[in-house]
Amino acid sequence: MRHLSLSSRQLGVIAIGLALAGGTVACGPKNGADAKANDGAPHKGGTLYVLNNQPQTNFDPARLYTTGGGNIPGLIYRTLTTRTRANGAAGNKVAPDLATDTGEPSKNATVWTYHLKDGLKYQDGTAITTADIKYDIERSFAPELSGGAPYLRDWLVGAADYQGPYKDPKGLSAIETPDAKTIVFHLNKPEGDFPLLATQTSFAPVPKAKDTGAKYADHPVSSGPYEVVSNENNGEHLVLKRNPEWSAASDSQRKAYPDTIDVQSGLDQAVINQRLSAGVGKDADAVTTDTNLGPAELAKISGDKSLASRVGTGHFGYTDYLAFNPKVKPFDNIKVREAIAYAINRTTVVNAQGGSSLNDPATTFLPTQAAFGYTPYDPFPAGTTGDPAKAKELLKEAGYPHGLTISLTHDTDKGGEQGPEVATAIQEALKLAGITVKLDGEEHNAYEDKVHTVKSEPGAFLAGWGADWPSGGPFLGPIFDGRQIVTDGANFNNAQLNDPAVNSEIDAINKITDLKTAAARWGALDKKIGAQALTVPLYHPVYKRLFGKDIKNVVISDWTGVLDVAQVAVK
Amino acid sequence: MARFAVRRLLQAVLVLLVLAAVLYAVFYLAPGDAARLACGPKCSTATVAQIREQMGLNDPVYVQFWHFLQGILAGHDYSTGAGTLHCAAPCLGQSYRTGDLVSHIIAERLPATASLALGAMVLWLAIGIGTGLLSALRRGTIVERLLTGFTLVGVATPVFITGILLLLLFCSWLQWLPYPTYVPLTDDPQQWAWNLLLPWLALALVEAAKYARLTRSSMLETLAEDHIRTFRAYGVREGAIVRRHALRGALTPVIALSALDLGTMFGGALLTETLFGIPGLGQQLVQSVQLKDLPVVVGIVLVMGLAVVVANAVADVVYAVADRRVVLT
Repeated sequence: MRHLSLSSRQLGVIAIGLALAGGTVACGPKNGADAKANDGAPHKGGTLYVLNNQPQTNFDPARLYTTGGGNIPGLIYRTLTTRTRANGAAGNKVAPDLATDTGEPSKNATVWTYHLKDGLKYQDGTAITTADIKYDIERSFAPELSGGAPYLRDWLVGAADYQGPYKDPKGLSAIETPDAKTIVFHLNKPEGDFPLLATQTSFAPVPKAKDTGAKYADHPVSSGPYEVVSNENNGEHLVLKRNPEWSAASDSQRKAYPDTIDVQSGLDQAVINQRLSAGVGKDADAVTTDTNLGPAELAKISGDKSLASRVGTGHFGYTDYLAFNPKVKPFDNIKVREAIAYAINRTTVVNAQGGSSLNDPATTFLPTQAAFGYTPYDPFPAGTTGDPAKAKELLKEAGYPHGLTISLTHDTDKGGEQGPEVATAIQEALKLAGITVKLDGEEHNAYEDKVHTVKSEPGAFLAGWGADWPSGGPFLGPIFDGRQIVTDGANFNNAQLNDPAVNSEIDAINKITDLKTAAARWGALDKKIGAQALTVPLYHPVYKRLFGKDIKNVVISDWTGVLDVAQVAVK
Repeated sequence: MARFAVRRLLQAVLVLLVLAAVLYAVFYLAPGDAARLACGPKCSTATVAQIREQMGLNDPVYVQFWHFLQGILAGHDYSTGAGTLHCAAPCLGQSYRTGDLVSHIIAERLPATASLALGAMVLWLAIGIGTGLLSALRRGTIVERLLTGFTLVGVATPVFITGILLLLLFCSWLQWLPYPTYVPLTDDPQQWAWNLLLPWLALALVEAAKYARLTRSSMLETLAEDHIRTFRAYGVREGAIVRRHALRGALTPVIALSALDLGTMFGGALLTETLFGIPGLGQQLVQSVQLKDLPVVVGIVLVMGLAVVVANAVADVVYAVADRRVVLT
């Protein structure tokens, strides 16, 4: 096929200078714009335009894999609980949504009960019931509706082999709905994080009578502030309008200022940023929920005050790291792993990924937000540029006085978090410590298969992890819980660590329903595991995104790290 | 002519069958697992197995290919969970990823791709042949030098640079045009053309350069041929020589090339589609390849193959009209 010689990322890089050149010039009249309020306060009305690169595919609450209920999905699907819609760390908390509270735990957090608020209705005016929430959860188990988060299959009693309501209409006995406003979940192990999980869209109501299975995404029944007017090309162009049955009185979190929201996807990222910076016509009322500013774009914007004031900065809990498989020599030797940890130059790694404004150097596995239980530590202090002398010393102790040669597996996608630029920065840093690194670049799918399959997992590779909600549990569990090692599928416990002490501490913390207390324990566990040098944390990404010049009430929580479309106003 | 049509039809069926078979084979050799990709990153092995079963991936590859052929001949019924989705023959299958029928996906996206390809082709032929002829007929003049320079720049500038410059100039600086949003022809023909103007131009400028150079060299070659010299010797006027005799011969390679180009464009001009946000087949093809959504990939590649075959057949007919020495068999 023609025109495929350059990737879209390369295109983006080449186009950046050109794209932003127009940013400061355009200031034309707004086509057909209504009068704007000038008091600076957000007002109801108008149309918000969302310019995105990736389409909202599979817009079914059972199929969506979101954190905190997602950004666009959260406009249509209300859930039992939701994230707080506030800036920074204040937006890292869980709040009641359809439910009256964030859940009543009992029996060591293995039973969770929720009651629905009064007067909740769908867009057609019918009442929302707990049976509908149970039904959507059951749908999320159906192989016809693949893609959702896996947690409930592991957590609910007797759910491991359930195949959804279409094949098994009897449903899940682990979820009881004693009346239309009460729902009780029976878990097979204590889970203090259950209220955070209940923010995901599988906890949204779907009326059984309106379920059209795999076609439901075309015309979903809204419980949120907006309803779907049209869904073209499987989420490429979504038009949403206000749902008259939604009541702000029952929703303490979503502001829902615009009357209409138009989500256009499939756009090139360089063009999205060009349009947002130029702000011509309706683009003044536009935002993006998936397009970051790159380093060159950011450098250009920082020289322009008015543009710089339209850049939102967000922190989503994510860590990129160098992973070791201690079953492969020489990484079975902790001294070798420690030597590499000392030799890493985080400054060159951060620069390879776009510089310090887009990445914070990391020494902890947990991200730096308090909700995760962030506890600052650095077991291998080597400053910002590494300590090759200390690394050489450790290598000598490990039996490699003349250095050694290792292989580092990475993704060949250029500019990616696990891409060749970061691998090369590590190669150069390790060279100073006498370690020769042979780069093993693999095409994206091949790389994923290789590093997440126990049998083929290499000794050292680049990896990254982001949690599905801001807590230490979904961060440390999949990576370091020995019972989560998957021998015949996708394994994320890279170190294949199966330490009874770590496992039992994870179990103990999961029983804690006070999230603050649990966070402190996750932080302590992170520090304890960090000392084993099973991974070398490299950096936490920072998101910078432009928004249109008439956008008001910008809220960026630490939960998602991006501008919340439920809060912005265009008037 | 009837013999020509039957032969071409049989050839087309064979080409498309081989294409589909090769795609099935290649997909099972390439890394990545469609069921795992559909299931999500943290999916359990048991869930992946359920999805694989649902997708019919547990059957041997030749059985899957046979089911695909059966669907084309006899149609297929798919379960949506809550009901059944009937896919009438010729059924190209169902997307692993979204559950949509492949024919539906193609029907949604083909108009955008066809609009882009056909509109751009009209422009590139007009600009390309026009400048090519002009520079051939004004050989050695400043006009020829300017046009040759223009075509060189056109060939050397990638479509994304041309595209982003056009967007900057017309949408951001001059604000004569809106940032393009695809509007279907059936909804509003005027807006359709207005919004596609820049994508057509971006694509046409790159392609036109190629055609200008081809037309120029082909025209110069034809003008140097013996029969043209004979016409001149008989005192036929230069304008008539060019119009009636030289043009026919000079345009034959242009016809062959445009048939190939148009066919390929139906597979989607990916960068142009992405840059201008046109929801065409190219974008879908790339997404589907990444997700290993085999039925969609096969469907789009078949459309692309069919377009190449049809465009070539049309080119052969036009070729015969342009050059009377050619006989269709």
